[in-house]
Amino acid sequence: MKKKTRLIKKTSKTFLLTGLVLAILSSIALYFYTRNLLQAQEEESLYSTEARVVNALKNDKIVLSFPPLTEIIKVNQIRPEILKDTIIYDPSQDEMEVFRELKTFEKINGQTYQITVRYLVVESEDILIAIVFSNIAIFVLAFLFLFYFNTARNIRLWNPFFKNLEQMKKFSLSSNQELQLVDSDVLEFSELKEEILLLTSKVRNDYENLKQFTENVSHEMQTPLAIIQAKIDNIINEHSINNKQFEQISSIQKDIQRLKHLNQRINVLTKIDNNQFIKVEDVNITKLLEEKIENFKELEINYISLSSNNDLIASMDVYLADILINNLISNAIKHSPQEKKVSIIAENHTLVISNCGQKAIQHPERLFLRFYREVNSMQSSGLGLAILKKICDLYNFDLSYNFSESQHSFTVVFK
Amino acid sequence: MKYLIAEDEIDLQQSIVTYLQRDGNLCEVASNYEDTSEKVALYDYDVIILDINLISGSGLDILKSIKKEKKDVGVIIISANNSLTDKLEGLDLGADDYITKPFHLAELNARINAVLRRGKYGGNELIEFNELKINTRSRTAYVNGSAIALTKKEYDLLVFFVSNKGRVLSKEIIAEHLWGDDSDLLDNFDFIYVHINNLRKKLTAEGAKYIKTAYGSGYKFMED
Repeated sequence: MKKKTRLIKKTSKTFLLTGLVLAILSSIALYFYTRNLLQAQEEESLYSTEARVVNALKNDKIVLSFPPLTEIIKVNQIRPEILKDTIIYDPSQDEMEVFRELKTFEKINGQTYQITVRYLVVESEDILIAIVFSNIAIFVLAFLFLFYFNTARNIRLWNPFFKNLEQMKKFSLSSNQELQLVDSDVLEFSELKEEILLLTSKVRNDYENLKQFTENVSHEMQTPLAIIQAKIDNIINEHSINNKQFEQISSIQKDIQRLKHLNQRINVLTKIDNNQFIKVEDVNITKLLEEKIENFKELEINYISLSSNNDLIASMDVYLADILINNLISNAIKHSPQEKKVSIIAENHTLVISNCGQKAIQHPERLFLRFYREVNSMQSSGLGLAILKKICDLYNFDLSYNFSESQHSFTVVFK
Repeated sequence: MKYLIAEDEIDLQQSIVTYLQRDGNLCEVASNYEDTSEKVALYDYDVIILDINLISGSGLDILKSIKKEKKDVGVIIISANNSLTDKLEGLDLGADDYITKPFHLAELNARINAVLRRGKYGGNELIEFNELKINTRSRTAYVNGSAIALTKKEYDLLVFFVSNKGRVLSKEIIAEHLWGDDSDLLDNFDFIYVHINNLRKKLTAEGAKYIKTAYGSGYKFMED
């Protein structure tokens, strides 16, 4: 994925880059254009000076040489004129200077002269530099102004977009809060707003329907299950069957039981989704744990140890607290290997339940997903941990899993 | 005993009737709201088994009218909805018990017997079966007048057996009755053998040999 840049930053960047390129290009163009213009001017001036010298010579006037600007030398032969740049020592400046030089040969009154006229280039170069610099300065100033002006304008212009984006980030299926979108006089933003509203209401409707459907399915399944269960109970008693058939019927009973538990769990999940657990009270988790451990002892599960120095109190629904504790302990029991030991630490605001295990879970990130099973276990409904997660999410409790020193640990921090 | 089974699912209704009739109980049925209202108003029953979601109305409304008329009848609510609020509402309205679909008929029967034993509705808090007597108030069992020491689970098991005498009970049914939803945590039902064997030993020691094995892995409480 490419690096993401903010919209405003991106447009400003483009603007500034364009400005820079334009400034450079125009300065270069201006430089060459002005230079050519100046050169033409200089040449014209050289030619006119030369013409004046020739004219003066023709009229027998004494023409003095002013080296390096004008030099008149008598020569024997005529050569073609030369126009070039040359570097010569300028005594007035006491340094080497660049001169534009026109060297012509004229035969005047039978005498051949070599007339050299020069022009100090430095002067025209200074003008050139001054022009290019002012051009750049104007550009920079104009661009800086435009940049700030544009950025401010863009921020104002995109404001509805940013605001709506923030709202969309807050969108949650489970909350019934409507999105508070702002309207805009920009057609596209206004359309976008309408589309977002349409889309979110559609998503929400679909979600509601799906939830309703799940609820209905799980509800509608109960009655046929009850009929199957009742008929099986009667088959055992009314008919004479053999041992093998009885085994099979018992096994069917077990499966009905599984479906029943699955239904119960789906029910709990939908109820949490529907925000049907609104009663919040202080629940003594430590006491609840002690009761649970007592209950499990009746099932010959007596390897659960609890250490708690002070009572752990959580603000939540009692029924959900019961499910939370039950699912945590059940999970630890179900996934205990041969070496059975479940240790619970409940202190201050933290509950840690650990059980032994050979190796860490391969995909801890999927652990709390519905119907994710690390091992295919008959006993697992695949919903226990999903419910756990849902309950913790509901109350913003922190739920985490980690594996260390051959121990699977689930930690709940009751905030 | 006279029961009214108000359930709109005929298959379920008939299965319940079949199971309950075996003890010589009289079972009447109603398949919709109107039918149920009428029968409740006209006749007297010992226990009404009432489905909350009757096709044309709510069982809870019928429960309300029963309680308004102060009818001396036990009510057990059946619901497909395993919701705590429904349960609490039903019990608040005066229902004696609440059972969620799907349920074992043996479990329903045990609940009916428990409701009857509370003594309010012409039942008896004393269960008698030949030389076996169970006082459900003091939770003690006697064989030929001498008390036998039972653990809590053994006592529950005995009452469950006697309530469903003559019926085959699988380990699944027993486990679910004794431990409810927690029973699905168990790898196997071995520990049920332990409880049943202990109970059986204690009864047999006093000469009450009523717990029989059925079909190899099930149990049946019956006379020889």
